[in-house]
Amino acid sequence: MKKRAISRRDFLKVTGAVSAAGLLAACGGSNSSSTAASTAGSTAASTASGDGVSISLWTYPIGSWGGTESKLDDIIAAFNEVHPEITVTYETLDYQNGDNLVTSAITAKETPDIIMEGPERLVSNWGVNNLMVDLSDLWASTKDDIAAVSESVVSACQLDGAYYEYPLCMTTHCMAINYEVFEQAGALQYLDEDTRTWTTDNFVKAMETIRDSGLAAVPGIIYCGGQGGDQGTRALVNNLYSGTYTNPEHTEYTINSPENVKALELLKSMVDNRSLNANAGFQASDELQQFANGTAAVTFCWNASNKAQYASQVTFTPYAMAFPSDDDVPELCGGIWGFGIFDSGDDARIQAAKTFIQFVCDDENQAAESVRLTGFFPVKESLGDVYEGTDQAEQMGEFASLMPYLGDYYNVTPNWTAQRQNWFNMLQEIMVNGTPAQEAADAFVAASNP
Amino acid sequence: MAQISAKAPQANASQGHHTSRVLARRETISAYLFMLPSLLFFVGFVLVPMGMCLVYSFLDMGIDTSAATFAGFANYIEMFQDETFIRSLWNTVLIVVVSVPVVTAFSLWVGSAIYPMHSKMRSFFRCVFYLPVVTGSVAVTVVWKWMFNPYNGLLNQIFGTVGFDWLGDTRTAIWCIIMILFTTSIGQPIVLYVAALGNVDRSLEEAAAIDGATRLQIFWKIKWPQIMPTTLYVLVITTINSFQCFALIQLLTRGGPLGSTSTLMYYIFDMAYNYQRFGYANAMGVVLAIFIAIFSAIQFKVAQTDNG
Repeated sequence: MKKRAISRRDFLKVTGAVSAAGLLAACGGSNSSSTAASTAGSTAASTASGDGVSISLWTYPIGSWGGTESKLDDIIAAFNEVHPEITVTYETLDYQNGDNLVTSAITAKETPDIIMEGPERLVSNWGVNNLMVDLSDLWASTKDDIAAVSESVVSACQLDGAYYEYPLCMTTHCMAINYEVFEQAGALQYLDEDTRTWTTDNFVKAMETIRDSGLAAVPGIIYCGGQGGDQGTRALVNNLYSGTYTNPEHTEYTINSPENVKALELLKSMVDNRSLNANAGFQASDELQQFANGTAAVTFCWNASNKAQYASQVTFTPYAMAFPSDDDVPELCGGIWGFGIFDSGDDARIQAAKTFIQFVCDDENQAAESVRLTGFFPVKESLGDVYEGTDQAEQMGEFASLMPYLGDYYNVTPNWTAQRQNWFNMLQEIMVNGTPAQEAADAFVAASNP
Repeated sequence: MAQISAKAPQANASQGHHTSRVLARRETISAYLFMLPSLLFFVGFVLVPMGMCLVYSFLDMGIDTSAATFAGFANYIEMFQDETFIRSLWNTVLIVVVSVPVVTAFSLWVGSAIYPMHSKMRSFFRCVFYLPVVTGSVAVTVVWKWMFNPYNGLLNQIFGTVGFDWLGDTRTAIWCIIMILFTTSIGQPIVLYVAALGNVDRSLEEAAAIDGATRLQIFWKIKWPQIMPTTLYVLVITTINSFQCFALIQLLTRGGPLGSTSTLMYYIFDMAYNYQRFGYANAMGVVLAIFIAIFSAIQFKVAQTDNG
């Protein structure tokens, strides 16, 4: 029998054709169903498989719900004990690149089913652009429970009657001082340790005392770079002379009001006399690191989560304080975190996502643990003090004492994403470039107002 | 018989011609099949995105892409009235104009200096200069960020300028970026120049030396023309890399302070992801592509050689 030899040319042709076919297949993607395992790093793809449903969850670093020591595997395992028919995959985001990843996913139509963050993203950015599912049905039985803690939470999570976020936890953002440095410098006299408040005048005196003592390389740093941590510098400016960031209706920014301009001028004068520093190249994380190092005596970007994150680095007592205010009545920026569902058009996945959210937020055995893992406080009155009797109780008590100072939640004002960038540009103009505060604030308002 | 014998070569010639055409066709088909994978990549990942970029540049499109509306040339008109865009364009040109000649000249100098060395020393220096290229921009950036830190950074400790914010000062930030870009850009050109110098005809060098040519004359008259194709490649690649400088800026300064380190590439990203104005960002992408094409064409023209 004659054996047919394959010529070199035939071999090359076949190889070329197979390569091309492979390439086409690779480019074409796949619609095949698969059941993904509950492991990190999965993509947004989730498909129904048999009777089960697979959904994906993306979380920002909100306590142990994200970050490097995420407890998401434990949460999903607890969920699967009750709902084994739903497979949950997850991916953790960071605040440096998280928004870019989500924007990329939106444009590629590869969004996750569930995303965990605050109303400024879920409602003001993605909800307003018709990308999210209305979660009114989840709110039906719990709205009063949440409203009993804060009406602001209820209003922040909805837009024109549609609820795009189902909240889990909240906190107040505050500042912190290096207690030992303040003590040694004799600056503790300027703050009220019982209420953790101080007046604007006393803040100025305290920072000058720290500067003169030379106990810290720099009394405090106004970070003017980056995009995150803006709540710290916003609250600092607003509180100094009782200004507001937006109008009460949350439709316009008001940072160019006389009170805010006066506050910006005060901060600029403090930078000029070196009782504060301003660094255009610094982001909030850089400033926090300098505080943790002991280089800076105060930080303007503090909360329970940051305290836990830097606990292993600090060799002093970071003492949480409200922002200084002229009337000694601070109004702190709130942080609300919860869940939203991207509208995939797949009812089974949307329903499964709602089931997951209800489990982690409302289940009587899971809800308190879900909140504890965030390191913040529950939004529902019925959950009570979730830290009572735990080893976190003392630390959380420090921040719980600041909760009564929770101010207006204005993060739902239109153009929120763009204004954050404009805010840092404005700080750079004033603190680094020396532009008059009124001029820079007017430019901010003109660029940010819808 | 004579007729028959005359037709036979004609028939043979015709058959031979037919055979060669078949062979040529087969070769052509084979060649296209070989090209097909990369052609598909080129079409799928270069031509189609370029086309999409061009189409989107005429739209007013935000994150809700279904709500996009036709904007005509509005994005292009706005671009040239946008101060930050002009600033970014100027910064980009500054980076290109400074970085390209410096990188090329320095790489040629280092390449010439290490080429005559012992092979082990040559490899050592190639590794040293190539290290920042393979280290990855994130790791490089983290190290530089620490060095530039106003309070604990190495530079301020050495210069005794503790507190000075290198990356936060509008006068120094762009030069810091150019310096870091320089360290990450020289590795490949140095390796290429060392290889190119190895291909220079030694007999011509020796003949010139015997004829009394100086070392400078040998370099300019003998070596320089022979390494010109490599120089052209280095110029084009460095220009494109400088135009597309992004990671350093994103990780170090985010375009600040006050837009002093914003480049076209970064501003495109900023508009697309932070301001979610995809139409405007695409219009800037089109303009950036045109600028790169013009610069590259000029370089090809200026550095044109007989064989290159």
